[in-house]
Amino acid sequence: MIGTGILSLPQQLSSLGYSQAFMPLLFGVIASATLYPMVWISSKYPNDNLFRINEILLGKWLGKFINLFFVIQFIVFIAGIISNYMHLIQSTALQEQTITGPVFCFLLLLVYIVSGGIKSIARFCILTFFLTIGMVYFTHWAFEKGDMSHFLPLYNFFSVNDFYEALKRGYLSILGYELIMFYFPYIVDQKKAYRHTLIGIWISILICFITTAISVMYYSEWQLVNVEFSVLNLFKAGEFSFIERIDIFGITLWVFLILSTVAAYLWCAKKGVDSLLSKKSKAYLYILAIIIFFVVKMPFSRDFQEKLFIGASYVGYMLILWPILLIMIYAFRKKKQVQL
Amino acid sequence: MNRKLLCLMLFIQLLFLAACGEKEIKVPLEDVGMVGIIAFDYIDKDSMKLTVAIPQYSPEAQRSTQTFTVVTDLVSNGIVEIEKLSDKKIVFNQLRVVLFNEEFARQGNVRKVIQHLYRNAEVGNKVLIAIVKENGEEMLKYNYPDKPNINFYLNDLLQPSINTAFNPNTNIHDFMYTITNPVFDPIIPFIDKNSDKIEIKGIAVFKGNQMFELINPKEALIIQAIQGRKNLAPLDITMEQGHGKEKLLIDLVENDVHLKSNKSMTSPKLTISIEIKGTLSEYKGERENDLFTTESLAELEKDVNKELEQDIKTFLDKLNEWQVDPSGLSEYFRMYHYGKWTTEKKREIVSKVAIDVHVKTSIISTGTLK
Repeated sequence: MIGTGILSLPQQLSSLGYSQAFMPLLFGVIASATLYPMVWISSKYPNDNLFRINEILLGKWLGKFINLFFVIQFIVFIAGIISNYMHLIQSTALQEQTITGPVFCFLLLLVYIVSGGIKSIARFCILTFFLTIGMVYFTHWAFEKGDMSHFLPLYNFFSVNDFYEALKRGYLSILGYELIMFYFPYIVDQKKAYRHTLIGIWISILICFITTAISVMYYSEWQLVNVEFSVLNLFKAGEFSFIERIDIFGITLWVFLILSTVAAYLWCAKKGVDSLLSKKSKAYLYILAIIIFFVVKMPFSRDFQEKLFIGASYVGYMLILWPILLIMIYAFRKKKQVQL
Repeated sequence: MNRKLLCLMLFIQLLFLAACGEKEIKVPLEDVGMVGIIAFDYIDKDSMKLTVAIPQYSPEAQRSTQTFTVVTDLVSNGIVEIEKLSDKKIVFNQLRVVLFNEEFARQGNVRKVIQHLYRNAEVGNKVLIAIVKENGEEMLKYNYPDKPNINFYLNDLLQPSINTAFNPNTNIHDFMYTITNPVFDPIIPFIDKNSDKIEIKGIAVFKGNQMFELINPKEALIIQAIQGRKNLAPLDITMEQGHGKEKLLIDLVENDVHLKSNKSMTSPKLTISIEIKGTLSEYKGERENDLFTTESLAELEKDVNKELEQDIKTFLDKLNEWQVDPSGLSEYFRMYHYGKWTTEKKREIVSKVAIDVHVKTSIISTGTLK
């Protein structure tokens, strides 16, 4: 799933300097490895999503508590993505405007997509893919101008700290596949789910790889560290005879990517609320959207917001490892049953 | 009924609430002054003279360009000052050229100004940079009788065409890339006003943040060739290789370059092999009447090779003496060096490196006339 993360991925990985180009491939390996427990645990409960599985395996109260935790994380995470994107819009396209209007419109559209259920989200994602994949083409000017020799020497970094820093900050951009634990019950061909998801993951990994590789070719190390939205600057390298600022074009198309990402998360958050209150209602969706609106517009300093959003995304890492814990509990229970 | 009521309510709300919104300050297009060229002139360490040229669209105006000049310490401060003088809102969306005068380049902080523009989202990355010999303000304010508008004139002049491809055509990204990349030293075209025209006089080579030397366009062509540009400007060669004084011009030059270093930091050695292909479009000299056979052409090619090798070697030795590296030669040592590469390392390498140049010229044709 591609959101705002990839826009600044080369900067997030910049502690590795020119050697960052191959990090996305490593991410891909990690993602494929962590995906397996997710699919495994889900396939044991083919009709339940993770919120139900939590309740079954951890007991009603502990499960509900954990679920609440996830829902909060989702909300903050969504708010983080939206606020990040709006910050970008404000600093590049709409400099003379506050973001209240755009955020409102965005959420309206978001609620419309999510209220159609998982099917409508899936369709929207497919549409997004075909609409935005063409943007890869915009990077070819930067590729032509770039310098291949930047890839050498390979693995030119020393401190483990730099590596850890890059891993911690960069991995965020490929988050999103963990949501399979929530929409697994809706997958028609569950047996092939792992393979299909793997293809999806590697498509985004490939795009991340292209992005970082071209950035490495096109920028100096200083620019990698200091240019915040490097991908847009890659677009800036290009020029058609009829359009000069392709980056503006890119930003506006990006809204599809953001919408598809956020829609999936919002849908999961809504499912979470359903399971928390053991009742289904459309109203929760609107309530969630309102909460998100206030989180985005909260009257705290940008610094605090940033910390909160980063915190939320680190909690997201926990979600990736969560199924391993569940599997252990599952195995433990099974043994007990066998003994009885 | 319910739906009707809702519609009515919405209608009423829209009708009345619409007027309550804060009136947004949006500037209509005719009140926007789109800066086309911005020039910086050096005054002293803390202040500079800032001049902007804005195309004038009003048919009543006598001149086609508005120019404003202020003395300021910060770029954005200067823009605010200019807004006070101007009848329009100043925006940078159409900025095409940034000029610095020579003194500013030698003393001031070009990097700081460019970085400010690089940060600005209104400014594209393709804004061209040039250095003016005397005075940027004068260049913008001068009335060029046969040119409609200085904005277009300067922009077109600095755009590379095939015949001026020597012009390194430095834009904001190129400058930021070369100045922040420890293997490069930036180069910027150097222009001068010559009576009613503006002329590209040469190329300014930077050393670190300051302009260091001026090189001529022919030498800049060598930099371009080494950097691997595929199409080069026509090669104008004057040589004396045993056949008296000869002058020739090779057109449509296709260039292919390979660099190889010996990967050693202590005794660096670099081999440059250049292959150029082109048409011999004009020749003046002793051999004029016997250049019809392939043998005689091969002979000529050999002499050209020798001449070019000498030229390139002399030029690179000069650069090495200055310890500047506009063509990024040290990249071929950085590629094999583990650890952080610094500007000091570049200077060290460049001062020590032994360069070996091989040129292979092939003259594909001599035109359509026998």
